[in-house]
Amino acid sequence: MTTTSAGSKKPGGARVAVQRFGSFLSNMILPNIAAFIAWGIVTMFFIPAGFTPNESLAELVGPMITYLLPLLIANQGGRLIYDTRGGVVATIATMGVIVGTDIPMFLGAMIMGPLAAWLMKQVDRIWEGKIKAGFEMLVNNFSAGILGFILAIAGFFAFGPVVQALSNALEAAVDWLVALSLLPLLSILVEPGKVLFLNNAINHGVFTPIGTQQASETGKSILFLVEANPGPGLGILLAFTFFGIGMARATAPAAIIIQFFGGIHEIYFPYVLMKPLLIVAAIAGGMTGVATNVVFNSGLRAPAAPGSIIAVLAQTASDSFVGVILSVILSAAVSFFVAAIILRASRKRDLAKEGAGDLSAAIAQTEANKGKESGVLHDLQAGGVAGGAGLVGEGEEAAFERKPIHTIIFACDAGMGSSAMGATVLRNKIKKAGIDSVDVTNKAIANLTDDVDLVVTHQDLTDRAKRQSPNALHVSVDNFMNSPKYDEIVFLLQSEGVR
Amino acid sequence: MTEQILSSENVRLATRAAGRDDAIRAAGRILVDAGAVRPAYVDSMLEREGSVSTYMGNLLAIPHGTNEGKDAILRSALSFVRYDEPVDWGGEPVRFVVGIAGLENEHLEILSSIAMIFSDEDAVQALVDAASAEQIFELLSEVNDS
Repeated sequence: MTTTSAGSKKPGGARVAVQRFGSFLSNMILPNIAAFIAWGIVTMFFIPAGFTPNESLAELVGPMITYLLPLLIANQGGRLIYDTRGGVVATIATMGVIVGTDIPMFLGAMIMGPLAAWLMKQVDRIWEGKIKAGFEMLVNNFSAGILGFILAIAGFFAFGPVVQALSNALEAAVDWLVALSLLPLLSILVEPGKVLFLNNAINHGVFTPIGTQQASETGKSILFLVEANPGPGLGILLAFTFFGIGMARATAPAAIIIQFFGGIHEIYFPYVLMKPLLIVAAIAGGMTGVATNVVFNSGLRAPAAPGSIIAVLAQTASDSFVGVILSVILSAAVSFFVAAIILRASRKRDLAKEGAGDLSAAIAQTEANKGKESGVLHDLQAGGVAGGAGLVGEGEEAAFERKPIHTIIFACDAGMGSSAMGATVLRNKIKKAGIDSVDVTNKAIANLTDDVDLVVTHQDLTDRAKRQSPNALHVSVDNFMNSPKYDEIVFLLQSEGVR
Repeated sequence: MTEQILSSENVRLATRAAGRDDAIRAAGRILVDAGAVRPAYVDSMLEREGSVSTYMGNLLAIPHGTNEGKDAILRSALSFVRYDEPVDWGGEPVRFVVGIAGLENEHLEILSSIAMIFSDEDAVQALVDAASAEQIFELLSEVNDS
């Protein structure tokens, strides 16, 4: 009976996968939002179209977006996979991607960063425990350096052509849609491309050439507004201002100024990446804007760069003010409306989720973890596995409130005895349950980091372990050989749909 | 490799121990005599036991040193002592005392095998019933090979 209800109530694999992917992306971007804001402010003030143009200080703009932001993202992505070591290799490798292309390589950083760290982890596994004592530093530094070097070269050659191919494909698609007069459908391509930081490639690589040609014939082009319309971004940021949580909500108003008046659309992309479903809001807003301009036959005389409302109005053709202004307002309204629905619907879950942003959310999360440990796990213990059928639902909910369990660490004082035995016993039980995506290892408590999902310790050491890994779920045992907690952990994994 | 870490002469039978600390010293002495640790390591085993019990359940205890005590380890080794009379391990009965000295992770393979044996109550019973140290070593090795 237990098994049948567990089977019918398991969370959908695809849903869990999307959830994990989205939270991974946002975990990569979110810690770096401050850098985006700093860059946005610099840009807003010092570029020629800024509030206080300053040629010398404007030189900050290029290196910050070309190097600083992608490297920060790569480093964070690397760390998520493989600690500081992963972060370093990720950063080196992404440098190759950046230098090999001529647009800001956020997408490249988001792919290469985690990939490089993962490769480092695999390479380290090859000689794990086989290095002669005293040579660890030498081997570790050289292996990371050499792998970083190789990946930087690979990134240099691989990413340029990929980005070029993407641009070419987009250009072909745009030509085709223009020919068929299906312009609003452009947004289906453009908005996702934008939030993956391909906005410059799209605008300057695709729309500017075609639009300029149109403008030379008719005096204006609608294409200049497809990407540059600040409306959709404004709507999304407004939705965050009212319905967001944590740091996202607190930073959204400042982001609006940078985006809408400064014309720095990049500032809102992380907010969308944080919650990938919001791309629907961006597309709906973008389509609304394009459709409005089609109806009013309005357009710009020349590209509006950056896509600030000021630059847009400055370039608006004299017969197009009504249409252009309406297109901005309507697209903002539509994307706000859609984004608000999405944010409202997931608000409760986000509040409980780790990475919601600010300190208070992190504290709430830690408390929630504690509550869950004493709640879910202890209830499971009390009820026993057989009586746990009714708790499957709770386990299912927990899977969405907390990041899914991939790594379990047994920790003890020296990391050579009890934790190793406990890890073996649990690993065996998990294998027998048919789960092979979970890593069970052991460590000394002093070496615990906060990137693990579940920590098992002897009950006398749990407090120490919690200080080392405040964000992990903690389980205390009093007996490493045959603790009933092991069955509960297996059951928890099963109820979360971990395989 | 596993033979080196747990060799047959490090598997012993004993009738009784005066107490937990006595059993830890006995387990540590075997490691010292085998040249695996310096005598200071035995002190760190006692110190470690004072902070958290190494009682593992199923009649097994695995005394070992502290993190700091790792300096006194010369090579990875295990000692294995079976007592005829249960040793009082902080209120828990212990028949098997496995002394551990681990460098890096060399000893984990054999420790894992021991963990697997001791999580199986029938296997524990076979060790309890074993007639000689040689038979115990064989029982432990069999699992190694499989």
